[in-house]
Amino acid sequence: MNSDTPVDRRPASSNRPAVTIKLASTADELAQCYALRAAVYMGEQHCPYAEEFDGNDHSASHVMLYVEGEPAACMRIRWFAGFAKLERAVILRRYRSMGLFLPFTDWAKEFARRKGYSKVYLHSQERLWKVMEHDGFKRVDDTVFHFSDHRYAAFACDVEAGADCPTICTDPMVLNRPEDQLDRPGVLEKSMERGASNPHAAWTGRRVVN
Amino acid sequence: MDAVSYSLGGEFVTTQVVAKMEETMQAFAVRAACFVGELDVPYSEEFDGRDFGATHLLAYVGREPVGTLRLRWFRSFGMPERLAVVQRFRGHNIGRLLLEHCCRLAESRGCNVLYSRAVPACLTYLEKQGWRCLEPERPAAVGGRTAAVVRSVDLAKPWPELDPIDALSLSREFRPEFPVLAAAHGRSVDSPAVGSRGWDAAGMPGVVI
Repeated sequence: MNSDTPVDRRPASSNRPAVTIKLASTADELAQCYALRAAVYMGEQHCPYAEEFDGNDHSASHVMLYVEGEPAACMRIRWFAGFAKLERAVILRRYRSMGLFLPFTDWAKEFARRKGYSKVYLHSQERLWKVMEHDGFKRVDDTVFHFSDHRYAAFACDVEAGADCPTICTDPMVLNRPEDQLDRPGVLEKSMERGASNPHAAWTGRRVVN
Repeated sequence: MDAVSYSLGGEFVTTQVVAKMEETMQAFAVRAACFVGELDVPYSEEFDGRDFGATHLLAYVGREPVGTLRLRWFRSFGMPERLAVVQRFRGHNIGRLLLEHCCRLAESRGCNVLYSRAVPACLTYLEKQGWRCLEPERPAAVGGRTAAVVRSVDLAKPWPELDPIDALSLSREFRPEFPVLAAAHGRSVDSPAVGSRGWDAAGMPGVVI
């Protein structure tokens, strides 16, 4: 889980394309994420704009998958108290049948696990129910519901929350790290080199006097 | 919002210039739906780095964004491109509405000529709206390269003199920063006749005037 170097899971001799999975962390990456969702949901499934961009995008994590640097798949994760909800997962048409779906949901599950979640939850369209079961998800109950012209059922999957997952006793600077890179120093740790010098304090004071 | 033009299924069809972040997102979403979702254009070709020097128009049916057009400004002409109307709203003249808005906008800026590049499948659609092919020979209907098309903003006025200097500046502007971008010019998705991959892979425009 690192944004700087691509996560290359290929065997050394493989000619499979390089696949990178990361959290969307810049405005560009978010724009790519929204474009993929518009392409699949608005372009292919004829979903109205207001239903696709439903107001929850700014309270969620967005995961991007790149194939050879080209945006190919994305997913939105919302964080509830006891579970992480995977939603809005799309793979662009030209990248389907490449076996990207399982590694992608695995990444999301692992991401939730590292954050300390022990349950991952999602609503699956009916055509994907078998795939979800194959991926370790189980129906929450028998209820079938529908929205945006599709039938859905709720699925959940237990994951073993990491022993090293963050708590309030974790090193505060670890909690400051980018969420998908909790295992390596982040930009704020680098800022510690400057000390607690607060060079702007005087400047702020002048502004207040004015 | 622009003046209401007509209603479609009880909803007003309107066009407007994009002015807010959310509207920018809507314009990009419509293009992503049409070009990336339907025509399989790679993301990096569709969003080619020229979006932030351009004017974007949006068409709404009620509050639903259904069409968009990008308008780039050159010294003596405007260049509408990336015309897209969401599939289920096609056939209601929404593309035409956007192009008309584009003409009014150009005129208000003292710009008399519109220039664009079109895939062969769109030529008839554009010619019905007063556009004409710049090149004497029309490209082949299938697999042909994109064609340069021009339109006088006010069809009632005589065709304005074209300044040959502009041809040079146009040529420079067109030189793509990345070779891959050359393929993306001249697409539009409104005419129902446009098939998949309806753009010209070798369609790097040269000097056209």
